[in-house]
Amino acid sequence: MSTALALIDGNNFYASCEAVLDPAVVGRPLVVLSNNDGCIVSRSAEARALGIPMGAPVFQLRSELERHGVIVRSSNYGLYADMSQRLMATLETWVEELEIYSIDEAFGLLHRPAGSGDLTAWGEALRHQIRHQLGLPVAVGIAPTKVLAKVANRIAKRDPRWRERGVFDFAAMADPDPWLAATAIEDVWGIGRQLSRWCRLRGIADARALRDMPVGELRRRAGVVGLRLQQELQGRRCLPLAAVPPAKRETCVSRSFSTPISTAAALKEAVATYLCRAAEKLRRQGQRAGSLTVFVRSSPFDGTAFYANAATTTLPLPSNDTAVLLAATLPLAERLFRPHKPLRKAGVILQDLSPITLLQHHLLVPQTPEQQRRRAALMEAVDGLNRRYGSGTVQWAACGLAPVWRMRRGHLSRAATTRLSDVPVAWA
Amino acid sequence: MPEALPSPAPRPGSAIDLQRLLIPDPDRTVLLRVGGDSMVGAGIHHGDLVVVERHKVARDGQLVVARLADGFTLKRLVLCGERLLLVAAHPAYPTLALGEGELWGVVTHAISSFSP
Repeated sequence: MSTALALIDGNNFYASCEAVLDPAVVGRPLVVLSNNDGCIVSRSAEARALGIPMGAPVFQLRSELERHGVIVRSSNYGLYADMSQRLMATLETWVEELEIYSIDEAFGLLHRPAGSGDLTAWGEALRHQIRHQLGLPVAVGIAPTKVLAKVANRIAKRDPRWRERGVFDFAAMADPDPWLAATAIEDVWGIGRQLSRWCRLRGIADARALRDMPVGELRRRAGVVGLRLQQELQGRRCLPLAAVPPAKRETCVSRSFSTPISTAAALKEAVATYLCRAAEKLRRQGQRAGSLTVFVRSSPFDGTAFYANAATTTLPLPSNDTAVLLAATLPLAERLFRPHKPLRKAGVILQDLSPITLLQHHLLVPQTPEQQRRRAALMEAVDGLNRRYGSGTVQWAACGLAPVWRMRRGHLSRAATTRLSDVPVAWA
Repeated sequence: MPEALPSPAPRPGSAIDLQRLLIPDPDRTVLLRVGGDSMVGAGIHHGDLVVVERHKVARDGQLVVARLADGFTLKRLVLCGERLLLVAAHPAYPTLALGEGELWGVVTHAISSFSP
């Protein structure tokens, strides 16, 4: 029995989530802003129709947004994560295997039905269920390989002949060539800027041309990556589903500040907060860090000379103990701080990660096994409290109590599915 | 010969799980807060939490949540020929036609709390 891969993803996912539990915004133009209310990262279909550009800094569009009565929202990650979890749980029941690729995207493996093998009707039923039971619009692309499923998904979402249906299956096409020819080379999944530019220069302008170009030439230029892309376009599966995400090699937490930071104390508080979050992630992943990096930068827009810098340190022993990591991090923050260089962003990267099972004994371990066990129990207790009662319930004093640098989220919608006091009202 | 002892209480560790009882399908269930007293006749009061299942198909006579242009409303669904009516359980409130609105979900439980 032959199998197929489906790529299912949310249309305007963040903007769509905003409308699920808020009837007042249904059918109205709405945009969602990035961290810190900086740029537009998601637009409802109505906002898109008004020609509001993606990625534009919102301050440049203020008057245009007001004139059209566009609803503006900050990113409500709690809501999007909850909706994503619901979406993925539903998709699990529709496919044999699911690879969650991002917050609103997943690849599914499924069997083709006997006969024509066409899965368009399956895709339509899936789409209908998600639309009506979760309230989210999705697009479905179906093909033999991941790269082709990406192409199919793009057609399902953008092509005027297929947009209404929202499902495109290459198996339903007698001839896939015109569809591949209509896919620009830059839009082929995973091609990268350099390779697509090289293709353009050689006159290879679309997916069909890439599929049919001489193998030898492609291998010389792009090695195995190029060959894989070409074979995937030919319908030969080279990129299997990764059902289990690979172990993470590094963990990063960084944010922009709502107001520039100009004191060393405030920078240390911010960096300490990011470190605490990163360390919690690390423990959840069952890992330790061997080294860590702190980075800072000023705003490229504020007129003063741009300043960006980073500092890295190696830990004597890999650790995931917040206190140990903090002790290594704070001197770095101090070292990076410059008076008269207001900072707009900072972050912490934990690197050189290893599973906790690896390390146990070391001549230089400063703690007895009993001490180690008690530290681990403390971390577990802190993580448990923060999980149960909300992040920040228990925190290290280094993070500060009333930070001035906290992320700006001036247009946040309610945590309608995750906080009891934010549950929407049904009028009776 | 000693008499067999009566079997003890049900095995420990299997306490009643309200979550599973009230919300068997959490991915397609939403909680809403009731605002207003038009459904007191059906035992639903202002301030109650209601469990709304979005995957259930609403039938005649069921309590439903409908999405109207300006918000959610909780009423009893009544089929009247071709028309879908939203009927209150309180004499002071008028009956609405669903019209452009959307049948959004079926109310399966209402949770009243008597001490905050």
